[in-house]
Amino acid sequence: MALLNDEIRGQVAEMLAGLPNKVKLVTFTQPENCPYCDLIVELMQEVAGTSPQVTSEVYDFTVHKDKVAEYKIDKAPATAIVGAKDYGMRFFGIPANYEFGTLLHGIQLAGHGHALELDEATKGFLASLEKPVHIQVFVTPTCPYCPRAATLAFEMATASDLVRADVIEAQEFMELSNAYNVMGVPLNVINDKERVEGAAPAYMIVEAIKKSI
Amino acid sequence: MFDFKVAEEPRKEAPSGGLYDYIIIGAGPAGLSSAIYAARDGMKVLVLEKEVVGGLAATTELIENYPGFPEGIAGEELMERMRKQAERFGTEIVEFDEVTKVEPVKKGLIRVHTAEGETYEGKVVLLATGSQPKHLGIPGEEEFYGRGVSYCATCDGPLYKGKRVVVIGCGNSGLQEGQNLLNYASEVTFIEFLDHSPAEKILQERVMNHPKATCYFNSQVVEIKGDEKVTAVVFKDRATGELKEIPADGVFIYVGYKPDTEFVKDLVELNRWGYIKTDEKMRTKVEGVLAAGDVRADNLAQVTVAVSDGCKAAMTTREYLAELKSEA
Repeated sequence: MALLNDEIRGQVAEMLAGLPNKVKLVTFTQPENCPYCDLIVELMQEVAGTSPQVTSEVYDFTVHKDKVAEYKIDKAPATAIVGAKDYGMRFFGIPANYEFGTLLHGIQLAGHGHALELDEATKGFLASLEKPVHIQVFVTPTCPYCPRAATLAFEMATASDLVRADVIEAQEFMELSNAYNVMGVPLNVINDKERVEGAAPAYMIVEAIKKSI
Repeated sequence: MFDFKVAEEPRKEAPSGGLYDYIIIGAGPAGLSSAIYAARDGMKVLVLEKEVVGGLAATTELIENYPGFPEGIAGEELMERMRKQAERFGTEIVEFDEVTKVEPVKKGLIRVHTAEGETYEGKVVLLATGSQPKHLGIPGEEEFYGRGVSYCATCDGPLYKGKRVVVIGCGNSGLQEGQNLLNYASEVTFIEFLDHSPAEKILQERVMNHPKATCYFNSQVVEIKGDEKVTAVVFKDRATGELKEIPADGVFIYVGYKPDTEFVKDLVELNRWGYIKTDEKMRTKVEGVLAAGDVRADNLAQVTVAVSDGCKAAMTTREYLAELKSEA
């Protein structure tokens, strides 16, 4: 049975219609310890099926080392959302429930090739970056506040070539979550140093980025 | 297990502006039901929401007593449906912008100012801001927020698989969310200040007889301990004064709610707990300013009641708009 029913498929098609650029969903699976890999692949293929502008590619994390290196993937399951270029948007785990919205937003960003919601001050700051910034956002699918944090990170990644945004479904990466003491979501971890708990406005993330550099 | 709904995009068209018939502050059940009635009635309606549509109801895993859903319905799903229903009739909704001031200018004109610096104008304003979980104000609570202390079991419950959690408060919210936590945690300890649970019987039976659940009544939590994250909860037996410490990885706090009325405390009349006083038509003391839902005094914190309030407020607005028109 399809994951997306006809109504949802129609809504997704409408959202992804007319994207100026093509978008690739590059998914990395692994043969073991991946209860949702099949679901993730099916989901990406169904989403790709709604728009001629979106395609899905699937690789095995343990086999396709060239692709793993190209997209700088360090764990699986992972999906890189890639537009005319690679803006650095990654989703680790299954983008389900509330997080399905984050995936769709990422596709829209990649398809447009520029940030859609950032204010001028944030864009200005991101344009002035000289060093790489790594934003990790830990989420759960049932958290209504999480997409706000996740999409903000994706917006920032789209706005600057130096920003890489990893959205991580915490339950599927328990070891990593424990390592970062993720006890509540959303949690933003910036450059492995600064933590911002909750769905924070852009200026707070900007402050944390400044502190981390 | 999973679903893949299209949560309405946070990115949306800018509101049309101009003079609104009805500006609703808060997109929970009260605000949205009022929007449904008013917009369907042909009013120009704007809903302003500081976070995302749904209010507290959206963070409730399963709502079992809202009529019409015999199997129960996920809070998120119910609120998404209300949103669609409101939008179908032309309601404009703005998310992530908090109202900072409501300023009555003259009869039939009220200005609403927001944190993003926007100003909207409406003939009638509905305060439907609801309430948010109360904090206990004990040592460790603020310090370990996000490091084991949580107010949202629906959000954070999945992070406590096989771990020990404590739920503070055995009212409806505590037991309802505790029930959700029992799906994940290895043990759930409930601590209640009163000598009994004030929750619905059906919840008490489901939760308190659960093999993973332990309950302490007549007990007051005095401290949340931890290092990097929560490690233990200390509470006092109110009968004997004895202090007990139990190890915990997570603490979920459900000790009631406080109303979101700070921004109107100098405008409308509040009761001693900060809830807004209204008459039975949802009118506050300020002409053109109504209140509905959990934020209203003597309410029951139930979706069904909020929906009813919202409906009444829309009816009152219709009457008032007719009055304005006849005077014009």
